[in-house]
Amino acid sequence: MPAATEWTDRSRELAQLLARAGLGDRAAFATLYERTSAHLFAVVLRINRDRAQAEDILQEVYVNVWRSAQSFDAAQSQPLTWLTSIARNRAIDSLRRAQTQPQIQAAHTCGGDDAEESDVYDQVADDSAGPLELLSRASDARALSHCMQDLSAQQRQSVALAFFDGLSHAEVAQQLRQPLGTVKSWLRRALMSLKSCLEAAVQRDSREGA
Amino acid sequence: MDYSRPELADRLATAYVAGTLRGPARRRFEALLPAHPALRGAVRAWQDRLMPLTAAIAPQRPSPRVWRRIEARIGAAAAPAPAAAPWWSRLAFWRGLAALASVAALSLAVLLASPAPTLPPIVVVMNATAPAGSDGAVTPASFVASISGDRRAVVTKPLVNVSLQPDRVLELWAAAGKNPPRSLGLISASGATVVRRTALPAGTDHLAVSLEPPGGSPTGAPTGPVLFVGQL
Repeated sequence: MPAATEWTDRSRELAQLLARAGLGDRAAFATLYERTSAHLFAVVLRINRDRAQAEDILQEVYVNVWRSAQSFDAAQSQPLTWLTSIARNRAIDSLRRAQTQPQIQAAHTCGGDDAEESDVYDQVADDSAGPLELLSRASDARALSHCMQDLSAQQRQSVALAFFDGLSHAEVAQQLRQPLGTVKSWLRRALMSLKSCLEAAVQRDSREGA
Repeated sequence: MDYSRPELADRLATAYVAGTLRGPARRRFEALLPAHPALRGAVRAWQDRLMPLTAAIAPQRPSPRVWRRIEARIGAAAAPAPAAAPWWSRLAFWRGLAALASVAALSLAVLLASPAPTLPPIVVVMNATAPAGSDGAVTPASFVASISGDRRAVVTKPLVNVSLQPDRVLELWAAAGKNPPRSLGLISASGATVVRRTALPAGTDHLAVSLEPPGGSPTGAPTGPVLFVGQL
């Protein structure tokens, strides 16, 4: 499974392609599309499940990337982070514009006190992974996995629904059948603890040296 | 609100990048980004933290028609490929300025129809050719240029200072129809520059600013990307 570590390995090549695209090199841009479009399309498609709309969004994303490739600063961002952010922003904006709700898999666990099935997505027989499974795959990377352990199951689930599927606070609350305020504070605390944990991991790594 | 306050900047950036900041609040936040470095920094930090999570999503190959449509759209506005037409003769390049152009043409026509002893200056707005990145990290700044009534002096000024790498300069060009542009000289990225000439090249209908190596274009034609362009 692609893990976060590959993210950085691909950066160098993508940064060069972006730099060349910024100078008007269409062949480099075509290669960039070839290397990144399946990832960006998947990211968009999770947020906006309408395939035709997702294709339109992807098209807008790459036209935008072509036009603003000059402004990409490799010193400040990783190329895939930059590209993915653009794609996510477009996809989130499209939800507002189209007023389409993402189709939500039934994720509610009926017995809240049933400890065994806190991860209902494991039981969903479907090609596409549930948001929670994605989160656990994503945390393959050492630091992330360690950080995810610190989150409660509910915190993890709210982060996964909001981040991967683009659900709003209200939608996450509806999905998990929890009060809005509770969900807001779960999400907020989950992201904060993720932040401090990742920062600590980075400091540890830099102390241990390469 | 004081957006340079780290906790506030971080709180907004978290919700923005996680995707839970929605609707008008999201648009307001995006509008704030160009002017608030603290917010941009916080957004970047959160993007670095969260975007790698998406590596877990199984890739989905889009239909080949997506690329065909992208190609069709960037084709006309593409920067110079070796055999392609130069930027100043490409129609699509100017399309975005059509509205401004017709207003300018109208005022020019009025001026020409009633010649006065001293012509008023002509103001040209040169817009950024690249739109802001959709993450809002780049300001779509503009340049304004004022051409004196006798067309012997041009004053340029950026609306927002343009940040340049130390080894790059901005060069001003005048283009007339399909003729290659003529250099008017180097201009400041941060303040007003007065460019004096005997006269603007006859028929000048566009001004453009390109990014060049120190000392300006070595070839006499724009070598770097054209960052701003405006129609007289």
